[in-house]
Amino acid sequence: MAKVCFDRAQISAIATTVGDRKLSIDDEKEKFGFDDNSLRRLKKTIGLNSRYVVSEGVCTSDLCYQSAIDIFRRLGIDKKDVEALLFVTQSPDYRAPSTAIIMQERLGLSVDTLAYDINLGCSGFVYGLFTAFSFIQSGLKKVLLLVGDVASSLTGKSDKTLAPLMGDAGSAILIDRVENQKSYFVMHSDGSGYQHLIIPGGACRRPYLRPLLTEDRDIEDISLRSDMDMYMNGGEIFNFSIKVVPKLFQELFEFAGVTEKEIDYFVLHQPNKYILQNISKRLALGEEKIPSKTASVFGNQNSASIPGTINGFLYENFSNLKLKNIFAGFGIGLSWGACYVETNTIYTPQVKTFDRRYYNWSGS
Amino acid sequence: MRKRDFLELLKETMGMEEDLEEEMLLENIEEYDSLAVLSLMAMYDELGVNVIPKDFRKLKRVKELVALAGENLSDE
Repeated sequence: MAKVCFDRAQISAIATTVGDRKLSIDDEKEKFGFDDNSLRRLKKTIGLNSRYVVSEGVCTSDLCYQSAIDIFRRLGIDKKDVEALLFVTQSPDYRAPSTAIIMQERLGLSVDTLAYDINLGCSGFVYGLFTAFSFIQSGLKKVLLLVGDVASSLTGKSDKTLAPLMGDAGSAILIDRVENQKSYFVMHSDGSGYQHLIIPGGACRRPYLRPLLTEDRDIEDISLRSDMDMYMNGGEIFNFSIKVVPKLFQELFEFAGVTEKEIDYFVLHQPNKYILQNISKRLALGEEKIPSKTASVFGNQNSASIPGTINGFLYENFSNLKLKNIFAGFGIGLSWGACYVETNTIYTPQVKTFDRRYYNWSGS
Repeated sequence: MRKRDFLELLKETMGMEEDLEEEMLLENIEEYDSLAVLSLMAMYDELGVNVIPKDFRKLKRVKELVALAGENLSDE
């Protein structure tokens, strides 16, 4: 079983940038064809309210670039000290090469930097952190982790089953080598559910665009969606989430030798308020310990949802206090993982919206 | 739980105003949609009943939702 303990790595900074356009579900009502009754129920149950998305052409890498520059400037990081750059995304700049390598040059890092992409979504922050901590444990001193998605570009524009949930965000996380800082990770994968959350087209298995009209009995409406757009079976993903996450926490409590009472924050991936409420109910956790508002304000930020929650709602406490945290991601793959990580007054600025001045990329 | 309490729980879970009868056809219940299915799955999960989304597709009448609760229901 993939259970790992590290004792050399710590998080020094977390910054998040979201899309510059704020959309309100009330304004999007007609676009998605919601009647008053279903809109009322979606707002009340799922927590749909607003989301932040990018303007046409802005990529995840642009959001992450702004987040990384913020950390470099504020902490006075000497760029040649960054030895590895990881980029967790499902919305890279190109199908190939890895966007992380392009970001090495764009961020002005040394050619001695190790850089590559990791293709994960909702579980991506925990997996990215795991990989970064592994590098530090292996001897590297400074790792930059970038995570996020322009999820609004991955869904069909009028797909009311998915598009109203998604927000765009890109985070940067700086990880440093220290003496004696324990952290614990537990990870899982289950490919039997790969078809429940998938972009089927555009890669080798189904290489060409084949528009199709999908009628999905689970979702009970007809949405125009092509093979190049993300499909979600909401019922299956909900069922998976409420079953695996409580179990995952029990495993982590046992492995890390901690109890629920000792933990200051459970920062989970933020798909929507409803899933989080159901998980916290099963774990009997107080609302103040398990934030659940992120998706209602910013949208589902995929791999940036955990840093997005810290920079969106918990930035003061993460900046000023020593905290014991559990982070947990779960979703597309199906993939899920959790970690116990302590933080000590790290740099966590309040979330920023994307500033066009960072869109200065001269590439094609 | 008694059957009539369970019918009340179903009604509450689906956010309905009208009372449920066992013979009612699910397709005639406006509130029985994807959102209701999520709420029902959460409700069954809390009762310790394992249901997956596919199970709901086969159901025709309210009494089949009642039958899913299985041993959780006691005689009247």
